[in-house]
Amino acid sequence: MSSQEKNISVSLVTFSLILGYFLLRIFQLSQGGNFDSAHVFRLWGIIIVLAIVATIVLTIVLTILTYIGATIYEAIKTGDENPKIEDIKDERDQLIDLKGTRITYTVHSLGVLIAMLAFVFGQPALVMFSLLILSGLLAQIIGDISRLVLYRRGV
Amino acid sequence: MGKSRLSNNIRRLRFEYNEMTQQQLAEKVGVTRQTIIAMEQDRYSPSLELAFRIALVFGVPLEQVFSYTPDDA
Repeated sequence: MSSQEKNISVSLVTFSLILGYFLLRIFQLSQGGNFDSAHVFRLWGIIIVLAIVATIVLTIVLTILTYIGATIYEAIKTGDENPKIEDIKDERDQLIDLKGTRITYTVHSLGVLIAMLAFVFGQPALVMFSLLILSGLLAQIIGDISRLVLYRRGV
Repeated sequence: MGKSRLSNNIRRLRFEYNEMTQQQLAEKVGVTRQTIIAMEQDRYSPSLELAFRIALVFGVPLEQVFSYTPDDA
């Protein structure tokens, strides 16, 4: 598994956990009769912050940690003091990233459309905002899965 | 997605060219080893530029490295 695939896998797990937390909280709010603007918008804020923090951590910290970890692993394995680590992102990685991003945007656009239609057909604004967040998280997860599939099955 | 209609002789050419490893070829053409593996397994069709770089490494014309099979063939 390449470093790119590892990063995507970690992103997939992270956003799945965030989605799980979101669904759990929405379920708790609706069961407890607290599905009101104060609670939903607070949850909205938490999810947005979690997503931003996860993205920053994944893109910066994890890349550095993966590089350090891979360097140590290669140094132990080969006995070389300066092992060569494949940290470049070549044309195949870029193509897969591009296709994954396209899928992410498509899913998110569909989610936004569904959320707007729900609002148009009489659902409360809270439902629309919940659907927006849900579609954003689902889009990220589906995009990550599609990237992993493209790495495994070919572009 | 899946098998490409572009096939190649990279694996054979590597062995004919002093048993070059995938890593060595990857470094010479500026891609990752995973990309070389994907090409050898016909899971990735390279860009024209990369195809020319690979042919240049082996010192052979492009047609000796890659071949294209059309849909109706």
